[in-house]
Amino acid sequence: MKNDGKSLLVLTVLVLVFFALAGALALNLWGRTARLSPIPPVDPAVTSTATVRKSYAELVRTGADTSDFECYVCHEKDKPPTLAFDENHNLVVPKEHPDIVMGHGRNNRNNLCFNCHDETNLELFQTKDGRELKFAESTELCGSCHGPTYRDWEAGVHGRTSGYWNRAMGPFTRQDCVSCHNPHSPKFPGRQPAPPPHPLRPLPPAAGAKVEGEH
Amino acid sequence: MSQQIPDGTRTPLEYDGVTRRSFLRTSVVFAAGLTAIAAGLAPLLKLEDFPSLEEFMQKYYKEMTPEDMAKVLKRIEGQVEREYGIRPHVRDLKPMNGVEFVYCLNLTRCIGCRKCVHACVAENNQSRNPEIQYIRVLKMPHGSFDMDKAEHDYNPAMVPEKDHFYMPVQCQQCKNPPCVKVCPVHATWQETDGITVIDYDWCIGCRYCEAACPYWARRFNFSKPSIPKEQINPDMAYLGNRPRRQGVMEKCHFCIQRTRAGRYPACVEVCPTGTRKFGNILDPNSEVSYILRTKRVFIQLKEELGTSPRFFYYFDV
Repeated sequence: MKNDGKSLLVLTVLVLVFFALAGALALNLWGRTARLSPIPPVDPAVTSTATVRKSYAELVRTGADTSDFECYVCHEKDKPPTLAFDENHNLVVPKEHPDIVMGHGRNNRNNLCFNCHDETNLELFQTKDGRELKFAESTELCGSCHGPTYRDWEAGVHGRTSGYWNRAMGPFTRQDCVSCHNPHSPKFPGRQPAPPPHPLRPLPPAAGAKVEGEH
Repeated sequence: MSQQIPDGTRTPLEYDGVTRRSFLRTSVVFAAGLTAIAAGLAPLLKLEDFPSLEEFMQKYYKEMTPEDMAKVLKRIEGQVEREYGIRPHVRDLKPMNGVEFVYCLNLTRCIGCRKCVHACVAENNQSRNPEIQYIRVLKMPHGSFDMDKAEHDYNPAMVPEKDHFYMPVQCQQCKNPPCVKVCPVHATWQETDGITVIDYDWCIGCRYCEAACPYWARRFNFSKPSIPKEQINPDMAYLGNRPRRQGVMEKCHFCIQRTRAGRYPACVEVCPTGTRKFGNILDPNSEVSYILRTKRVFIQLKEELGTSPRFFYYFDV
């Protein structure tokens, strides 16, 4: 060892460099970003496959309360209910039926209970071609007017089909019309969307504002 | 240092210029240096996900015999059980004869509620944080089809919003997939039922496929996926929803663990409006055949690229 002092110096410097490196890695000074901000778990309702409403058939199937469908607890048998109209010829929904909003068809075309309900037996439906149907057969009632939609539904294309796509491997189910549509105001209801994707880092506010301004 | 005696002999303590003192001094510095190197390399010890020897020596998916596959499935089950505390059921499902999957999505019906996005995450054991989602729902103004104006982070109190429509985009399962062409190790390929799959054990994470995909359908695991133990879906498939490692690619595989067992994908099952339709295009009585025959099928997304997606967007009427 001729240059004893010099090599010692080099070695010492190297040692210091390695120690500094070790410290920096341990403290995570560069490279990976620190912890990700937590993302709250999604509401189980988001991943639930339940339909928006429950049809009468499903209430019966699941043994739920069907007392809403027992008309003659309040109505009198053999006495068709009288309907009231306001000055614009709009049906006045009686206060005993607070959940009914008349909104079936454009331009208030469906302004009469007895287009669907049978006035002689309120626990039945009547179709335009004179058939009488039970509450559980409501899909056929809808189909008596909405032909093309009913045809699509029969083909499994309107509304959800769940279960097995391969009919040989297992059963499948179709939903009734009223499992999704409220028969008195059938437009599909809006809902709160599930949370949007969370960016890895929060977007700068300026960029967000610009996106808003574009629309 | 040691003194030279005039007659030329050395002191007994001296040997080749190294004295006890210089030896000790150098040794101390040397030991300290080794310690420092060890300390500098210490973060490597924290690396997890080292493949086991068995995993490292695993054969290519298409070259595995059924016995090899049985061993691999057993290993995966063990790994999942060690990590998540539940015994999964991992299968290697093969494509069925006479089946080609097609997906149809009704743009008239979609309300943009994103239920499909989260049902997919839950079904396919995707990382919750950082988030990996296979489906991206685009919101676009009526009367245009300008994807540059599409928003995917809309979050109003109520959807659908006035004068907008929603277009969920996910893997289009192309008949002519660009992602398969660019993969340098054949870790992704198209199966006979039309599903483009990924072997997560063969993927080297180069992300060429991500760059090649014109639909932004592929997702990369930049960090180790994090899934709460209680949210693991134990029904798994080798080419499907088994947990992924850090550094591999993943994407929608039409819920291979469900669809190859005859069931509908999770996104179809959860859709509240019946927007999503799935089935076998080779069966003339299937829902998708009916749609392609009778509906106004609007587009295959980016049709002009010649990728020929098996994913069709259509309108009612």
